[in-house]
Formats: sequence, C-alpha cells, structure tokens
Amino acid sequence: MDKGLKELSLLPGVGGAFVCDNRGGVIVSSTPAALATETMNTMGREVAQAFTAAEKAGWPSTRVEFVYDSWRLLAEDLGEAVLFVVCEADADMPIARMTVDVVVASWRKDSGVKKQLARHWAARNDVMTTANFDEVSRRSWRVIESRA
Amino acid sequence: MPEGLTGSLTQLSLSDILTMLAAGGQSGRLELADGPERGDIFLRSGAIVHALSSLHVGEPALTDLLRWTTGAFRFQPHVTTTDVTIDKPLERLLSEGVRHAMERDAVLRVVPSPDAVLHLSQDVPTGPITLQPHEWQILSQVDGRTTIGDIAANMRCEDFALMEALVPMVSGGMLKLELATRIAPVRAVASPAFFASLTAAVAAAMGPLAEIVIDDCVDGMGLTRESMPREMVSTLVERIGSDIRDVEKRVRFQQTMLGILRNQAA
Repeated sequence: MDKGLKELSLLPGVGGAFVCDNRGGVIVSSTPAALATETMNTMGREVAQAFTAAEKAGWPSTRVEFVYDSWRLLAEDLGEAVLFVVCEADADMPIARMTVDVVVASWRKDSGVKKQLARHWAARNDVMTTANFDEVSRRSWRVIESRA
Repeated sequence: MPEGLTGSLTQLSLSDILTMLAAGGQSGRLELADGPERGDIFLRSGAIVHALSSLHVGEPALTDLLRWTTGAFRFQPHVTTTDVTIDKPLERLLSEGVRHAMERDAVLRVVPSPDAVLHLSQDVPTGPITLQPHEWQILSQVDGRTTIGDIAANMRCEDFALMEALVPMVSGGMLKLELATRIAPVRAVASPAFFASLTAAVAAAMGPLAEIVIDDCVDGMGLTRESMPREMVSTLVERIGSDIRDVEKRVRFQQTMLGILRNQAA
C-alpha cells in the first residue's frame, strides 16, 4: 500500500494520505505523515461511524469529501478500512479522485494488500458504541437507528 | 421525459423545460451548467421543491437560474433531495421570475454594470434636493475613481442592490456613470492533441461512439471543444469516466488519462 500512498502524495496539492482500520487505528501512512497520529485515529473512527450511519439511514456511499476553508479531505471506504487523502483547497480534485480509483483498484487485486488489511480487520459496528460517541453523535445515531 | 435528457438553453428555455417537467409530473434533478457556473433544480411529482445557484438557495436561486439564456441542462429522473426550500406553484414562480427579470432589466438600462465609476454631476440642480440616509451614504463614497462594485463592498451590500438604489440618482441627473473597459484575461484552452488522445482512450473503453460521448459531456458543461479551459479538462475526464459502466475499463481509461494529464502539466 506504500506505493499507492506515495502516488497519491506526489499529486500537486496533496499533503499526504493514510489508511485507517475500522476502529481508527492507522494501518499505513505516507511519509512524512500528513497529520498527527491522534488526529488520524479520530478521523478514522469518526468517518467509519459516518459511513455506517449513512448506510443505516439508507444512503450508502463509498466516498465522502469534506470541504473546509483551507483544505479538503477525501475519504474512500475500502470496506475493511478507510483511505484518506489530505488535499489543499486548490488541489485538482478530479485528478485526486481518479487516482484514488486507480490505486484502490490495484489494491483490490493485490493479495499482499488483502492480507495486510485482513490483519487489521474489525467489524464496523464495533465503533458504533456509546463509548465512542459524543452526546450529539449518540442522539443522531439513536434517531437513525429508530427510523431504519 | 427520457432518462438523462440533455440539451442547450439556447434551444429550449428553462421556463419551457420546467413547464414540460411539471406537466409530466416528473421527479428528479435538473442540472444546469454555463461555464464555471452551476445550478440545480429539484422536482417532486412535477412541483419544484428546491433550487441551488452559485450564490443562493430556494426562490432567490430559482430567480437567478431563470435569467440564464445560455448553458446546458441535464435532467436526472428520480434523483431526490430531502431539502424543501420552495413551495409555490410553478405558474406563480414563473410569473414572479418574469417580473424579477423585467425589474432587473429596468435597472440595467439605467445602471448597466457594477464596473462603472460614479461621478457627481456638474449640472447645478434647479430646486431643493432631498436625500435619503442610504443615498447620503452612497454620495459620501463617490470620488470619480471608485466603481459601483467597490462601493457595494464598502457598504457590505450586494452589487445589484446598490445598482437598484442608484437608479433614481442616475436618472435624476445627480450622478453620472463612466463605464470602465476591462480587458478579459486570456485563458489557456485544451489543445486538439488532448482531444485526439481523449477520443482514443474513450473509444478503447466505449467503442465507436467516443466522439458523441465527448461532445455530449463538453456540451453538458456548457462549453465547446474550442472554449474548454485547460484547468477543466480533468473535470471533463472524470465525468466521461463516470459514464463507463465496466469497472475494469473505467480504471484503465482513468489510468491512461492520468498519464496524459500528467504529461500535459509537465
């Protein structure tokens, strides 16, 4: 997976990329890391929760893009993990997204990557527990569960 | 209306398109594009429920979009939204749109552009002058150098709102306009060589309809091959890629085009 992360990190406007397991643990990160480990852990966990909640609410998705004033975060659901790409505000996002497609397609065929991801496997529902939510998220999840 | 209907607003007006969709009780998203400008109108069972333009949401967005006379449209049936920002019948929305357009045209006939510079008239008035507070505020900014747009920014109001306020002051002779001439920046456009490479890659993925697929996509972006800015070619490639159903063929197409785009940027 290092080769794929390097390919993404070399794109103009991309600050780095990393992969988190379904509990938020960092499996692999570009060098140097784009963000502090604790930040990547939090992102990994909360985005995994977001994917699970969206699916439960009837809006399954495999990709989410977060747009902020000065940067963007692209999150691609790999099923067993989430790939994150950290981009500057003026990064060429179509090129970033297409490169993610190409990189992820190559990972799906790579038995070494499949084994690496399998070693970190955790059920997505493991992060949907009260201990992993703040008050607002907990209430939102209850509403989604009740309406599902 | 057939799935994925596309076309140009130069051939069919937005109000005609909306009338047809309403008559058919259609639900879905009407996507609009004119160069870099984008808009979306959502319908549910023939009624408009939500609209988005570059600057506004809801009825103001619909008013913006109804002014478009160029650009491309694409209707995607059954694409829904949970947002409900419009709840008036279509006939009323369209007649209000016409009224807004007429009011806007009346303003533009007197104050044609926010790039104009304001000058205090040298003609001495023949009688007493009464100024409203906002007119006093406007006059205090008139210096023969500052544009209407800049005065609007200083007053923290929208350009058009200030242009509307200026109508009585300009038509009454208190202020005169000097229209500035702006030289439009020259934008680099995509080369014929790029389109040749793109055609070959699309043909490999989708067969002999490559030229039609590319032209439809370019048209859907509200552009032509000759006017396609170089910075938008990656968007074009991504949109065409999303039309390739076979995953392997799509990834191969993306890989080929990423290489071409990299060489182009180098």
